[in-house]
Amino acid sequence: MLKTPGHYAFMPWRRRPRITWPGGARIAFWVVPNIEHYEYDPPPNARRMPWPRPLPDIAGYSWRDYGNRVGFWRMAEVMARHGVRGSVSLNVAVCDHYPEIIERCCELGWELFSHGTYNTRYFYGMSEDQQRAVIRENREAILRASGQSMDGWLTPAISNDETTQHILAEEGILYTLDLLHDDQPTPLVTRSGQRLVSIPYSLEVNDVPLFVMRNTPPARYAAICKAQFDTLYEEGAESGTVMCLPIHPYLVGQPHRVAALEEVLRHVTGHDKVWLATGREIAKHYIAHHLAAHEAWIAEGTP
Amino acid sequence: MSGLPDDYLAYPHRRRGMDHDRYPFRILPRTAPVQWPGGARIALWVAVHVGHFPLDMPLKPFIAPGGMERPYPSFWDYTQRDYGNRIGIYRLMRAMAARGVPGTALISAALAREYPVLMDDIAAAGWEPACAGLDMGHLHHGGVAEAEERAWIAEATALLRGRFGGALRGWHSPAHSESHRTPDLVAEAGYAWTAAWANDDMPYAFATRAGTLAAMPLSQDLADQRMLFQQTMATEDFTDAILAAHAVLDAEARATGGGRILTLSVTPWLMGQPHRIRAFERLLDAILARGGVWPATASGIMEAWQAQR
Repeated sequence: MLKTPGHYAFMPWRRRPRITWPGGARIAFWVVPNIEHYEYDPPPNARRMPWPRPLPDIAGYSWRDYGNRVGFWRMAEVMARHGVRGSVSLNVAVCDHYPEIIERCCELGWELFSHGTYNTRYFYGMSEDQQRAVIRENREAILRASGQSMDGWLTPAISNDETTQHILAEEGILYTLDLLHDDQPTPLVTRSGQRLVSIPYSLEVNDVPLFVMRNTPPARYAAICKAQFDTLYEEGAESGTVMCLPIHPYLVGQPHRVAALEEVLRHVTGHDKVWLATGREIAKHYIAHHLAAHEAWIAEGTP
Repeated sequence: MSGLPDDYLAYPHRRRGMDHDRYPFRILPRTAPVQWPGGARIALWVAVHVGHFPLDMPLKPFIAPGGMERPYPSFWDYTQRDYGNRIGIYRLMRAMAARGVPGTALISAALAREYPVLMDDIAAAGWEPACAGLDMGHLHHGGVAEAEERAWIAEATALLRGRFGGALRGWHSPAHSESHRTPDLVAEAGYAWTAAWANDDMPYAFATRAGTLAAMPLSQDLADQRMLFQQTMATEDFTDAILAAHAVLDAEARATGGGRILTLSVTPWLMGQPHRIRAFERLLDAILARGGVWPATASGIMEAWQAQR
């Protein structure tokens, strides 16, 4: 077993080469709706059971199902109202199950990237060939459904195995969200030396930990997200930061929570130095303008 | 590295729509509007969990919310839940009767044997009785044999039908837990509606091998057992969340010209406590004051919906 992920160098939060965003923005703000399907009758995985209750876990299943039937549509409308596009962390089988959702995402100009095939199929224990097969199949399915190239990746339930990031780089993926080590994009080290960057995701302002694990009332959720934004906006005056707002339709799309999401988006879009970006746009900008400087700084020992 | 079995990458149910045959995929904002009586925008459905938690209830395969979490014999857990059936529910009845709001009681059928007087009082209050299994110690789940599960449903149904007769039309599986075949057995036992699948804000048709059930929207996320008990939130966090939900559903009803349902999933041992009943009364007053509200039972809502399908 590994002692560390081994994918990144230490980069202290001082004197980093400055990141600038388009239009002089201080912060790149991106929203990641996790559009998922949790299977009714999934196979077991030795490292994690897909559902906490015996199958069928209809409590968990129907809660997720709410997201696709009801929550997604409410959430998407609020985002559209505030001019915020989504970068969809997509269980790719949704393209087959609910093409109406994919169609709506495309109409809204959202990016689609892969969150695996189903949220109940973990990467734990997959061979490299199996991981590669899923990644390739996902890329084809996203291309077929949307015409988009699959540039980003978040392993289902962040169930990556030791080699997953290496394989992503070898498969030509631009950015991964499996690492939570930073508030800026960073270079990743891969075994082949092929390029892969990390873009900030979040488990701090992610609605699953907040609503499901930390028992956060809606108003408190909005306050936490706004505080996260305010700090990153302030610090972004020095060097551009990234704030990711990961959301799940079955949580923020509930009638008692959707107003809290709206409050956060209203707050963010009420600031002028904000780049409302997608994951692909952030990754491409970073790769084109800042990756080399970060790598050089690391090579110099982060003076 | 040998990897996972090949079939871990096989997806036999990857297809258009659902990965089971209970209902087709439906998109709420594209669903035909439903009108409520009197032009109401919001049907207010108060679903009251009238549960019996046996002191010796099994703790596997999981402990139902409110179950015996402390070592046997947990008087701590047992008597707190039982408080709801002695005191709390009567407070809810008073608060609701004063405001003309009927309840739908989701009853552990064992209570018909334990507390027949409570059944009389539920009937006298004009509440709709529904069956929530035998008791909270009989969880329906994938590990229960079919014959055993059928026998539980038959016993529970006989207990409540013996008291309420044909008024018994609804079934709620305890702790929102079912086996693959629970809906089939429930339909075979003659029920018309169920409420364990929390996947919509409006009713929909749920297929079984014995005909169609109406699936009623009983939230498990916006529920006092979830927010007040499991998540230990403040009472006002729960009531504020209900009012926030009302505002969104009411706005959708205005925008679409079709009604919505606001479900209060409440529990006598929680909302019937002296320190919470005032918040419950204020909540009902606030909802009713917003206007366009039709306080209804599950069967009342189901019938209005079915008449327009």
